[in-house]
Amino acid sequence: MITTRSNHRLTVFAGVAAGAALVTSLAACSSGSGGGSSDDKTGAKITTINVWDPYPQYDDSSDWAKYLQSCAPEGTTLKRTTAATADLLNNLTTAVKEDNAPDVVMLDNPAVPEAASAGLVAPAEDVGIDTSGFDANLAGPGTVSGTTYGVPIGANTLGLYYNADILKKAGVDPASITSWDALNAALEKVTKAGDKGITFAGISGEEGVFQFLPWFWGAGANLKEPGSAQATEAGQLVSDWIGKGYAPKSAISDNQSASWDLFLTGKYAFAENGSWFAQAASTQKKFKAVMMPIPGKDGGSAPVPTGGEFVLAPTHKSNAAGHYAAAKQVIECLVGKDNQVKTADKLGYFAANKDQRQKQIDSDAIWKPWAAAIESAQGRTTDLGSAYTPTSAALSTALQSSLNAAGDADAVKQAFSAISAG
Amino acid sequence: MGIQTPAPAPSLEPALEEQDAETGRTHRHRRRRVRPTTWAGLAFVAPLVAYLAVFYAYPLYENVSMSLHRYTRATFVTGQAPFVGFDIYREVLASPQFWPTVRQTATFVIVSLVFQYAIGLGLAVFFHRGFRLSGLLRALFLVPWLLPIIVSATTWQWMMDADNGILNRFLGVFGVDPIWWLNNEHSLWAVTIANIWLGIPFNLVILYSGLQNIPTDLYEAASLDGAGAWRQFRTITFPLLRPVTAITLLLGFVYTLKVVDIVWIMTMGTGTSQTLATWAYSMAFGKGASALIQYSQASVVGTILLLVALLMGFVYLFVQRRQED
Repeated sequence: MITTRSNHRLTVFAGVAAGAALVTSLAACSSGSGGGSSDDKTGAKITTINVWDPYPQYDDSSDWAKYLQSCAPEGTTLKRTTAATADLLNNLTTAVKEDNAPDVVMLDNPAVPEAASAGLVAPAEDVGIDTSGFDANLAGPGTVSGTTYGVPIGANTLGLYYNADILKKAGVDPASITSWDALNAALEKVTKAGDKGITFAGISGEEGVFQFLPWFWGAGANLKEPGSAQATEAGQLVSDWIGKGYAPKSAISDNQSASWDLFLTGKYAFAENGSWFAQAASTQKKFKAVMMPIPGKDGGSAPVPTGGEFVLAPTHKSNAAGHYAAAKQVIECLVGKDNQVKTADKLGYFAANKDQRQKQIDSDAIWKPWAAAIESAQGRTTDLGSAYTPTSAALSTALQSSLNAAGDADAVKQAFSAISAG
Repeated sequence: MGIQTPAPAPSLEPALEEQDAETGRTHRHRRRRVRPTTWAGLAFVAPLVAYLAVFYAYPLYENVSMSLHRYTRATFVTGQAPFVGFDIYREVLASPQFWPTVRQTATFVIVSLVFQYAIGLGLAVFFHRGFRLSGLLRALFLVPWLLPIIVSATTWQWMMDADNGILNRFLGVFGVDPIWWLNNEHSLWAVTIANIWLGIPFNLVILYSGLQNIPTDLYEAASLDGAGAWRQFRTITFPLLRPVTAITLLLGFVYTLKVVDIVWIMTMGTGTSQTLATWAYSMAFGKGASALIQYSQASVVGTILLLVALLMGFVYLFVQRRQED
């Protein structure tokens, strides 16, 4: 190839230019994160408030998004970012590392102790969040080793929905279902009558454990001894449902939305699912869906876990005061006494303050059957703090094995005794 | 003309050689003219080198470094990750999950490769004869490749549903009892079947283009000598396809070894469908079978995967060199 002089010079120039451009763009990349907020002590005012929530089901035109926007203090814009519950804590971890964490984050309550002990969120006192007035059982996960980090944005819990049409057809009186035996008898009756039994979410991970806990606690088991005989009984119960064909085999991988969809087909008599579906249950017209408390093993209602997110202020290195001031304003707007019901209604949750919740229940009848459940609900992390995460992981493994065993008692026993061994 | 292996020759290479030759020549005669061209050469190489450093060398280094330090979630805030040498490697190797996972990965990769290659080759030979509509049919076989994996994996999950899946309905026609495809015991076979289906188009396309490079006069000569179709395949097609086979199997191996998406969408890596790749993913992000986040353990598995893939690369180079000799 022959190159003329001018052509050659052009090539040289182009090469140097390309190299230089790359170097500058890389440099720009590495210095980008620090810019903007340099004052450490003065607390420069934040004009763009970043809020992360785990509600990707609500898009920017949804009521929730608009409501959240309305919490932006004057002179600021609120930028909402949403991610799946399972991703939010990981995203927050890297964001805090790069010191570009959001000003406000809403974390699933069992993730709060882990986030707090990893130093990802700031103590409520530093931020100036008012933590008084919340029910102790609902606010519990927000306190880790004596320090309170955040407050519940609302609360939800689990109940046992039933298809009143199917129960009537099979001749089952819902009021009689007060123990596991009664529930199993009802399941047998409805399946004999040609309908299907129960849907629940047995998916691997925290979501499956959340759904397992009412049975686990209802058997008298304790999270401090997740491999106990009582825990094994709970594992056997759900394992038998698969084995006897009461529950779909897809329960091993169904999440709560998938198992709800199965219930909505109208073919299942029961569904263990959350209070956030109460509205949907009452508005669908295909069949009559009613909620009852989840029965404990020997009668009475089982303790149910509290669900719902906490609203927290992530840790900041630069201009912490400015970020915390912004966070305080937004959090006050969301969970201040007068706004709790409004916020909870937007999410289909309960207000986490007893008096506020009473107002909410009085104003809408669909919440009535849930009132007792939410009051007696237990925090998942209350007993164990951040040690809940590994325990939940072990429980998830045992639950998966039990469901796969499809009723095989030896396999269930082995699955739960493996927890105590490990 | 021989058969071209799709060697990944960077287009920069000839340009560099030319540059070297040029600078070598100018170096002897006119010293002052050297510098601009050398600088230009370096500047042309710089983007590539910087790219390799930033996007390949640095992440690899970080991965290995993470496997030698004990990372926790708090590490990201405090920066404290004590150096523990090969402790985490020992822990991972001693974990009761390690060897079963290695066996499952080996089964997944080997069974996938054997069937993908055999079916891909069969289809390639079939379509090579060129008949009416063969172009259209060949295009249809590419569908698995074109569909987003989220779509195809979810479809497989539905088809393999134990209670209502079409696969069990179909087997029921022949009197086979319903199989719980996605449970712990069978999930490895379920994801392997889906992965074979997914990999056939890749094998088909590469082997088909390899076939087109085999001169037709060889077949003409062979048929004059009285060689039948099977003899032609054994003595002409298969030997002449060997270089293409090598690259197909190598790429297929690396792809299959690191596959996460289809397994994850179908089973989240639960039960026997856990491979080294899904195990690493679940530990790195605290999802699925490992709800507990374990960064260092995940990077140990990642490093092991890298070493295996690297080893296969060397095997390929060795095979290729032997073929060239």
